[in-house]
Amino acid sequence: MSMTVYLRRYWQLYALLVLPLAYFLVFKYGPMYGIQIAFKDFNFFQGINGSEWIGLEAFKEVFGMRDFYITLRNTLMLNGLDLLVSFPAPLLLAIMLYELKSIWFKKLSQTILYIPHFISWVIIGGIVSQVFGTQSGMVNNFIAGLGFGEIPFLLDKHYWLFTYLIVGVWQSAGWGTIIYLAALTGINKELFEAAEVDGAGRLKRIWHITVPGLKPTIITLLIINLGHMISIGFERPFNIGNTAVREYADVLSTFVYRVGLQSGQYTIATVVGLFQAVVGLVFVLGANYASKKLTDESIL
Amino acid sequence: MGRKMFGKKMASTLLAALTAIGFLAGCSGNGGKDAATGTSGNGGSSAGAAKEAVTLKVEVFERGNSPAGMSVTNNYLTKFVQDHFGKPNNINVEYVPVPRSEEVEKLNVLMASGGDVPDIVFTYDQNVFYRYAQQGGLTDLTELLDQQGTNLKKFLGEDTLAYGKFEGKQFAIPAKRANLGKYASAIRQDWLDKLGLPVPKTTEELYNTLKAFKEKDPGGTGGKVIPLGMTIAPAQIDPLVWSFIQPTTDEQKFTLTQRLGSNDYPILLPGFKDALQFMNKLYNEGLMSKDFGLDKDKKQLYQDVSNGKVGFLSEDDTNLYDDGNKISSTLEQNVPGANLKPVDVYTNSEGKHAKPRYAPNGMYIMIPKSSERAAEAIKYLDWMAIPDNLFHMQNGVEGENYTLNENGVPVAPANVTEETKNRLYNSGDMAIISNGQQLGSDDKNREATVQAMSPKYQDKARESLKISNSDTFPPVLLSKPIEAQTKYGTTLQDKYFEIIVKTTMVKPDKFESTYESMMKDYMASGGQAILDERTALYKESK
Repeated sequence: MSMTVYLRRYWQLYALLVLPLAYFLVFKYGPMYGIQIAFKDFNFFQGINGSEWIGLEAFKEVFGMRDFYITLRNTLMLNGLDLLVSFPAPLLLAIMLYELKSIWFKKLSQTILYIPHFISWVIIGGIVSQVFGTQSGMVNNFIAGLGFGEIPFLLDKHYWLFTYLIVGVWQSAGWGTIIYLAALTGINKELFEAAEVDGAGRLKRIWHITVPGLKPTIITLLIINLGHMISIGFERPFNIGNTAVREYADVLSTFVYRVGLQSGQYTIATVVGLFQAVVGLVFVLGANYASKKLTDESIL
Repeated sequence: MGRKMFGKKMASTLLAALTAIGFLAGCSGNGGKDAATGTSGNGGSSAGAAKEAVTLKVEVFERGNSPAGMSVTNNYLTKFVQDHFGKPNNINVEYVPVPRSEEVEKLNVLMASGGDVPDIVFTYDQNVFYRYAQQGGLTDLTELLDQQGTNLKKFLGEDTLAYGKFEGKQFAIPAKRANLGKYASAIRQDWLDKLGLPVPKTTEELYNTLKAFKEKDPGGTGGKVIPLGMTIAPAQIDPLVWSFIQPTTDEQKFTLTQRLGSNDYPILLPGFKDALQFMNKLYNEGLMSKDFGLDKDKKQLYQDVSNGKVGFLSEDDTNLYDDGNKISSTLEQNVPGANLKPVDVYTNSEGKHAKPRYAPNGMYIMIPKSSERAAEAIKYLDWMAIPDNLFHMQNGVEGENYTLNENGVPVAPANVTEETKNRLYNSGDMAIISNGQQLGSDDKNREATVQAMSPKYQDKARESLKISNSDTFPPVLLSKPIEAQTKYGTTLQDKYFEIIVKTTMVKPDKFESTYESMMKDYMASGGQAILDERTALYKESK
């Protein structure tokens, strides 16, 4: 079938594709025009075209800034720890939910687990300081009641990491189960029944049927997560962090906010953004390549 | 086949529907625009003028404190402006709300957007003003002010106007500040009485008092006592830190002070380290708020003071007594017999209660270069500078909002209703050319502030104002902007507070090493650049 005939026959499908394509063009490709700010001495009164080219001057400045390396280190550290802690959490939760026999209890648990996902980080930040505060926080009041000393959950950088991770799991684990639960519905029930007949216990069934059934999903999510290794949301570190733990809580996104939005150095902010995008791309391609080699599963 | 046909039909119907929705949206968008121009046209003709009314867009702070039924863009004062300034001049004054807590961020975005930026914008941050001026984003107001700003010039005077100059040109209109005092302290007199202690007179005596508060817990807080209420806001940190700064020569003061944002910080001045050491001691002995590093907006502090846990604190002059924060009144409700009394305690090596005061200007009012309404903007500010207009915007209607007492100070009538009071709820943000009341003398201006408090706290407020205005020193006057301050100000301000928090909270044996490494980081992140530039400027001006 020639291309024109093909297009003519299925034109409706292509027409439907127009909207998503337009979305990507307008919101994802259009803004790339602004990347040139990284190579210009951007003055927002003159606009992008009116600003002078400065070559790689801004890159030199960024790579000479101590804060840049600290925030880069923190970004990788927080994301790396998140990958260890927050990535497996929804997986375990999904498997547990899947094993539940009582439908109403399953539905109820799911709903309760989803709720934190819909709470804004600003509010979570407030809750966290009420719960984990040293002086009047709930947890510390309880610990003090037991006769132990206070624990500086928010003010000591090591304890703060713990708080940061726990809050992250609480906020995102429930929501993260959705995609796994969806994948689990695709597993043939007969496999479980057959395994049960063959005498496989519950753990054996999980290990040999459920987990392999989830493998493609796990790998896809892992690749996506690795792609985000270098980019970090602004709201979580900004709202959970505080002055005392800036050494760990200051990340690339808060750095960009400070030099870009607060100090008006848009060129520097753009350089950091571009750097993140390029490194992120390398991570995604690398993870994809590794996964293809090791497991034959990949998304590209 | 039939099924396929049906699918095809479905798809085309869907597409048609989508297209229709798109068209509808487009139409309604246009319709909205037409309607808007229509009304503004009508407004113009009803005012009886031949030419169409122009729109003047003015920034206004949004603090989220509007009474029911009002907003910062629509209230008694916006109507007053429209009726008395807008209508006669055929101008529609439109207010553009900007959140107070992120004014600089929002302003940067507005400025970058070009067309949407209001015709009148402002900021308290001097470095932001310099940055805009330097990048050529502001209208030069020198001539306009001569032509249309007679009242404004008279009101502000040359001294204030000088703060708005950049490279000899008037790029900003600085607001005039009535009350230059910043900080006062307060102590729980009832605790002192209970323990039979005198009011501490020096920082040394204060330390002993704080210890007594901690050990004897006169408030019966059950071990929850916070002898010194602390936050990471300037009002709690500044008075303590500055009292440790040694007597300095003019040269030291000029070169070693660093202005970050709108404040002078003594980070390199002799004595700064001693201040940190003192804070470290207080913290490690449990004499200070444990979570002060989390308390940026003073909310926790206010809560602790109101709950009767705090023994002593420093604060922005009258904040502890005004009706807005309701700190003293809540405290007295929670702890009957509590008495939070203004005192002046922190003392430097010369025996003075040295504390910083404000420059004689308030915020920097600017007109972006892209604005086509610069003339109208100056006209608006000039109108506001006419004494009667300013007085009305600050005090409301005579006989309803205020009556003049024998000294000519406006006093609220006893039976003033909430509704009448609410007319002026954001008058400070509307009367932008003046920070505080301008009644002709410092005493009168202060008395006006006092009269705005509820009668019960007027004496204490008066005392606080006296304290905040004694032994003060002005910010360093710079003959030209320090570029490094403009560039690194925000970053270094964050680092400054980080230094304070970290060196305060660290165990005493780690103090030295923490201080060294953090100062090194501070200097490398721009502190050195500021120091070099200030030193050069000092030599130049010699």
